[in-house]
Amino acid sequence: MLRIKDLRVSYGREQVLNGIDLEVKAGECLAVIGESGAGKTTLCLSIMRLVEGTSHGHIFLNGLDLLSLPEQSMREIRWRQVSMVFQNANSALNPVHTVLDQVMEPIVEHRLASRAEAQRRALQLLANVGLSPDRSSAYPHQLSGGEQQRVLIAMALANNPGLIILDEPVSSLDAASRAEIVALLKQIARDHTFVVVTHDLSTAARLADNIATMYAGRIVELGPAAEVLSRPRHPYTRALLRAYPNMTTVKDLQGIKGKMSRPVAGCAFHPRCTQAIGVCAEKTPPLVSSQGRYLACHRGGIITLLAIRNLSKSFGSFKAVRSVSLDIDAGETLALVGQSGSGKTTLAKTIMGLLQPDEGGVYLEGKRVTSRAKDFYRKVQMVFQNPGESLSHRLSVLELVREPLDVQGIGTREERDQRAKRTLEEVELPASGGFLESYPHQLSGGEMQRVAIARALVLNPSLLIADEPTSFLDPGVQAKILKLLLNLQERRGLSMLFITHDLSLARKVSDRMAVMLSGEIIEQGPSNRVVSSPVHPYTGSLVQTASALHSESEAGETVDQPGAEARSGMTIG
Amino acid sequence: MFSRRNLVTYAIALLLVLAFNFLLPRMMPGDPLMAIYGEEALVQMTPELKANLVERFALDQPMWQQFGAYFGALFRGDLGYSYYYNAPAFEVILGRLPWTLLLVGLSLVLSTLLGIVLGIESGWRRGSKTDRSMLAGLMALNGFPDFFIGMVLLLVFGVTLGIFPLAGALTPYSGLSGGALLLDVLKHLALPLAALTLAHIAGAYLLTRNTMITVVKEPYMLTARAKGLSQRVMKYRHAGRNSMLPVITRTGLWLGRVVTGALFVEIVFSYPGLGYLAYEALLARDYPIIEGVLLVVALFVLVANFLADLSYPKLDPRVSYAR
Repeated sequence: MLRIKDLRVSYGREQVLNGIDLEVKAGECLAVIGESGAGKTTLCLSIMRLVEGTSHGHIFLNGLDLLSLPEQSMREIRWRQVSMVFQNANSALNPVHTVLDQVMEPIVEHRLASRAEAQRRALQLLANVGLSPDRSSAYPHQLSGGEQQRVLIAMALANNPGLIILDEPVSSLDAASRAEIVALLKQIARDHTFVVVTHDLSTAARLADNIATMYAGRIVELGPAAEVLSRPRHPYTRALLRAYPNMTTVKDLQGIKGKMSRPVAGCAFHPRCTQAIGVCAEKTPPLVSSQGRYLACHRGGIITLLAIRNLSKSFGSFKAVRSVSLDIDAGETLALVGQSGSGKTTLAKTIMGLLQPDEGGVYLEGKRVTSRAKDFYRKVQMVFQNPGESLSHRLSVLELVREPLDVQGIGTREERDQRAKRTLEEVELPASGGFLESYPHQLSGGEMQRVAIARALVLNPSLLIADEPTSFLDPGVQAKILKLLLNLQERRGLSMLFITHDLSLARKVSDRMAVMLSGEIIEQGPSNRVVSSPVHPYTGSLVQTASALHSESEAGETVDQPGAEARSGMTIG
Repeated sequence: MFSRRNLVTYAIALLLVLAFNFLLPRMMPGDPLMAIYGEEALVQMTPELKANLVERFALDQPMWQQFGAYFGALFRGDLGYSYYYNAPAFEVILGRLPWTLLLVGLSLVLSTLLGIVLGIESGWRRGSKTDRSMLAGLMALNGFPDFFIGMVLLLVFGVTLGIFPLAGALTPYSGLSGGALLLDVLKHLALPLAALTLAHIAGAYLLTRNTMITVVKEPYMLTARAKGLSQRVMKYRHAGRNSMLPVITRTGLWLGRVVTGALFVEIVFSYPGLGYLAYEALLARDYPIIEGVLLVVALFVLVANFLADLSYPKLDPRVSYAR
């Protein structure tokens, strides 16, 4: 139905769309998501040929190349073959005409029916979109935002076009009217083709068959909606999802580092991408098909940083780890959850090379790790459970943090000191005077763990294995340390293997979870799924026993009783 | 629609106009009768007539009773007696009023309509040659006072080309009737009307053009374009309709200027309206007429403002006087 080929739009010198390729089949709904400024609205307007700037490329609508049509023919196509629901209904409607007049206008002006017939049709449409009949003679300003949006939708339907473009159809509405409008759109989508542009991911999730992620005037990821949302493969799509508040994901919100800037040489996202490599700054990645999806990424989307394959480890006859396979993506937190004795720490130590596996292997960035030399530890670092034991009490704070650099022989002494101090600042510790000279026993538990984290991070590793990093800390300090780790992940794209027995903690920091029992991974998946609908009975029992704030006296009460809302609110939070 | 509060505002304005008209002659130095009737009239006056007048204006009574009497007189349509025209002032004014109404009304409608249309066309193609030449031309025209334009028109079309009559509103003693009379009226009206219209077109034009320039950037204009509407519909139904709103509000206010303009233009063309009447009265020091004309003009402006206020919510549904 709609096929866009290499569409480029520029306003003066500013290039807004840099070669868009898209295809929308009849009856399909494509959602275009992305931050504001990505060029989403420009894309909508280009299809209607309403952009002020200059357009190059092709837009085929029902086989007709719109960009090559004379204005007069384009005028006839507008609203008859393609209509639009504009952003911000309030200003998209003319304030001095009644909404009925505005809905029937395109029918009359395109000479599709007589005035009387057009009016009858417009009234019917307004009724269909759920505007009460007595409101049809109202002026736009007399209607609520939701009603105005309904009018815009009725208007878009007036000439029964094949394609309807919706630009942020619900972004100006409150949650309740948003849900109503989305339901209405869902119903209309049954016999219309939609292109929905939105930054509201839940709208995209509810309406779309396919989702295209747009960044700086390019499509960076395109695929079936459910798959893109549940397993984004472009770093930008994942970042968008992490930043979007919703009731589904359980991890804390994370921002996207930096901000969109144009023009950027190479991949437009590379300054903000945490897995960017040399080529990303040089060449623009093309949108290519990859495993049922289209991706524009030199690295083939989010890379698998660490892969563990069939790893087993026994101590005598005791099988501590039984044929474990796990993947950790770049920039992802995988929580490894299980009770003590389940083999979590053994697994971690095997990965780090502190124990030799009996079977299977570890792959770092696709390469099997055979020997662990300095460059392995430059990429993989570990934070242990008890900083009091893991930090040498003979070294001062500065020496502790600098030591990995000394071992690796990086830079001059001066540079190493500087880098150690910067890292200390990054973990929110003072990087001056007395503190640098102090010894671990003079520090609090939280400070010690921060020093341990700084020590692990000073080499700028890609993966941090954190084994119960907060179990020795009180909750206030624990929360701060976890926030710190998430911030570092946002800034540096740090991947984490977060080992804990505490499910409630794991769900706040992890993207995915793997549950370990008696040396085996019995269940793994997106954290929200594992927590909300556990498959394995053991996971279920973990969820049951995880900490929640129901007090005993309230436990047996019915929902109607006071305090019920507050209680449920707390368990969600 | 129209609230009580607005009506009260108009009532207060009306009272102020009346009070001013009442106080003005009485604040002049000397005999108020002289101020009301003028020196010459007083000289010719017999003592009986004088006593009669004092009683009629309650001049021997306190101020508030005088005001009551004045008000009562007004109510009866008594604006005093013109010794110059030897007729009640009210009748004299009433006789001249239609000509001014015709001139002012038509020129107001014409200048506003033309101004709006030119403004819409100009603002629609902002920056184009048409727009720039129209803007320059009308700005230049705006610089000339209306009576000057009237004089130029009179010289060119009346004196040099001889197409239009030089003075008056009708050919005297022609005994015309029906279509011929209408044509005669229009012929006499043409030049003063043109002068007044040309002088006031720029105001409406500039305001419409200005609004038009902002309106064409409004999101609803994008909607209109997306709907595949024709240029004409976009330009007039969508953009134009919104651009004329401020002009309509201003029309009431402009009326005062147009009326003043009419006073001068009437003098230039010896057009027998209120302006020419005031001029004659001024030369003859016929105070009742002058004051009467003042009062009528003030009422005129008041009524026009009131009508503009009434029509505004019909044009712009967002304006509601419901509160």
